[in-house]
Amino acid sequence: MPQDMLLSRRAFLIGCSVAASPLLTPVTFAAAPGDNRLVVIILRGAMDGLDVVRPTGDRAYAALRPTLAAATGPALNDFFTLNPAAAGLMPLWDAKELAFAHAVATPYRGGRSHFIGQDALENGTGGENGDQTPSHDGWLNRALFLLPGARADTAVSVGQQRLLVLDGAHDTDHWFPVAESPLSAQGQDLMSAVNAADPLFADPFAQAQHLARAMDGEQAPKGKLAYGQLGGYVAERLTGAARIASFSFGGWDTHHQQAKTMVAQLTSLSEALLAMKAGLGRVWGTTLVVAMTEFGRTARENGSAGTDHGTGGVALLAGGALKGGRILGKWPGLADGQLLSERDLMPTGDVRAYPAWALRAMFGVTADGLQSTVFPSLDLGTDPGLLL
Amino acid sequence: MEAPSLIEEIRFGYGPRRGYEVSPGGLEPDRLLAQLTADDPAAAVWNRPSMADRMTELVQMRDDKMAGMDVKPKARQSSASMDLKKIEQGDAATFFARPAVATLGFVERLVNLWANRITVSNTSQGVGHHIQTFRDEAIRLNIAGRYADMLKATLWHPAMQVYLTQTDSIGPNSRVGLRKGKGLNENLAREFLELHSMGKGYTQTDVTELAKLLAGMVHDQNGPHVEKGRAEPGEKHILGQTYGEGKGQINALVEDVAHRPETAAAVAFFLARHFIADSPPPDLVQGLTATYLAEDTALVPLYRTLLQHPSAADPNRRKIRSPQEFAVASLRLMGLDGMEKGMLGFNKTSMMVPVYLANMGQQPFKPLRPDGWPEVASGWMTPPMVASRIDWATDLARATGDRVDPVALIDFALGDMASPLLRRAVAGAEQRWEGLAVLIASPDFSRR
Repeated sequence: MPQDMLLSRRAFLIGCSVAASPLLTPVTFAAAPGDNRLVVIILRGAMDGLDVVRPTGDRAYAALRPTLAAATGPALNDFFTLNPAAAGLMPLWDAKELAFAHAVATPYRGGRSHFIGQDALENGTGGENGDQTPSHDGWLNRALFLLPGARADTAVSVGQQRLLVLDGAHDTDHWFPVAESPLSAQGQDLMSAVNAADPLFADPFAQAQHLARAMDGEQAPKGKLAYGQLGGYVAERLTGAARIASFSFGGWDTHHQQAKTMVAQLTSLSEALLAMKAGLGRVWGTTLVVAMTEFGRTARENGSAGTDHGTGGVALLAGGALKGGRILGKWPGLADGQLLSERDLMPTGDVRAYPAWALRAMFGVTADGLQSTVFPSLDLGTDPGLLL
Repeated sequence: MEAPSLIEEIRFGYGPRRGYEVSPGGLEPDRLLAQLTADDPAAAVWNRPSMADRMTELVQMRDDKMAGMDVKPKARQSSASMDLKKIEQGDAATFFARPAVATLGFVERLVNLWANRITVSNTSQGVGHHIQTFRDEAIRLNIAGRYADMLKATLWHPAMQVYLTQTDSIGPNSRVGLRKGKGLNENLAREFLELHSMGKGYTQTDVTELAKLLAGMVHDQNGPHVEKGRAEPGEKHILGQTYGEGKGQINALVEDVAHRPETAAAVAFFLARHFIADSPPPDLVQGLTATYLAEDTALVPLYRTLLQHPSAADPNRRKIRSPQEFAVASLRLMGLDGMEKGMLGFNKTSMMVPVYLANMGQQPFKPLRPDGWPEVASGWMTPPMVASRIDWATDLARATGDRVDPVALIDFALGDMASPLLRRAVAGAEQRWEGLAVLIASPDFSRR
């Protein structure tokens, strides 16, 4: 089915003007896939889970983090406290719309390279050395084939950069405000014609045209994009046709002066989540957000008030659909002998299980589809009961 | 197979420049390699302040700061700090204006290629002062030398030291480490092995041991050296070799790593992928790997192997110009350098080329990740980036295209590589400038 759809779409584009592209005039394949919304955030740079959700109840923690744990944050339960810079999220926690999975990691262990780690996280591979699945695509894109009624506008990546997690054979949307070109209609048609004839340019060009038109009247943001704004864009798409949205959020590679960087990072992340909630309004009640990072960081502070690349880390879950107010996962401990290679938080769970259970609970993707197509060799484990 | 007429300019340079003589056709490796020893008439124009000069300013700025200057309001700002700001604003132009006017296009491409292979980015405080001299002194001076020497120059350069936070790393058993309870920062050690050299074949233990060896390295106004008080004492065991302490031992390690087969394969793959195809021909990569190892990591023999491979002259252009290559090629086509003021439709005082580049995904001197800008097409082809390319093509054409003959420009820009479809489309535009916009925004113009 997907293959045919792609072929016919390409054939359709050649010799046609962009205005007739299926992206602009939605072709009905089936009914839209329900009311649930899933947002996947890729936190690039390896977020320090031990600093975001602090195991202050673990007796080894304070000694491992002499300066990083100095400022204390609000208590999540009698064992974990939240980084004070994320205190803006406490209303979500109190409303049981926020949860964390601790001591999780992708199957890629020990290599600690950002890029292999991020590719592994987005590709969804089960390989320990980070080798990608043969298709070199994103797990969220593969999952679209298992969603009844998924269309080109069902899933959208938001932001300027390419996002591997949504890349692949299934058509998806890409959203980011850009300025509109002032060419005449005929000039635009000519430009479209030369671009449509080139296999590399045809699709991105058509989508670029679509972007420019859809933005008509809206102002492209100037300068640095505020994450609050980004959260707003995501909400805008999810209140329209999109049911799945994804974006990436970098800057977590805190080798030095981590405390200071964390303030900026966690403030921005909180802004993005809160803006999404505000923008979604009632739809927030059927929304689940999953934020994941490529790996955690060393249990010990390094020599420069930061941390180096580690293994076990934290995934964040949020949304009105979530049964939150919980720390999920199994705590491995931080004492001598409990760390991985005497340096990293020991992962006790596969981080992929959380988006997998989310896809199952929200869109009815079968266990078999999850384990064979979306996340190869994943052990789903027990159902964490993510939804209310 | 006959090589296309402009392949040297397009695949191995920044495209033909209006007003310059165009190479007489085909691909001749010796002609391109001669650029590496030719006099560069642009060198004097682009002679940016040296690292030594900048360090003097930096010391002055630090002293000013201690004396209570360099605080708001502006009137009290340190003059050294103002000087540095001005210098850095001038630096940014070298990213687009220097290649835009270059006569030695292959040289400029190589500088940008290696500066991307071994990346520094203006993302943390203090890197900005040093990026230009990183490119000028650590990269440009070594493009016709040995990769081992380029690795040494880049590893020791202050831009790299600050960017990958090596300046924070202290041997835990060094005098300073013991007194302050401080320790290692593995960042540079890891990326040196992962990104600059081997890419695989090393372990976490190698990274940690290398971090010990590098602890205390510094490059200040006294030149590159190791601070005894921060160096980790004792032997370090890295990749099966044993090293002691000091600058000489660090350089010995770099030589050893540079000669590893993993490094050879990684450099070969990078070079072949940059010029030929996102998935380069395996026999080319193997040939480059063998040359690298046989020639003591020397780069000129590597370029020769590349240029003599049949894929170098292949009329099928598989690569996409990066935003910088794309913008520069279009500036050259119109005989501009991007520093013009008062251009129709642009900001009155500047063409704002860095802003366009940022929108296309390539903010000058600010790659997003330590592995540099994307080297494959998919990294530049998101719809927002493509939309920004269209914007640049449209704005540049509107400002410069009202009197040009866009059909004649096709031949000048692409020679015998322009497709019949492009010729028809450009000829069919209702205004000259729109024809030019179609040309610049075409896949034909973006491919190399």
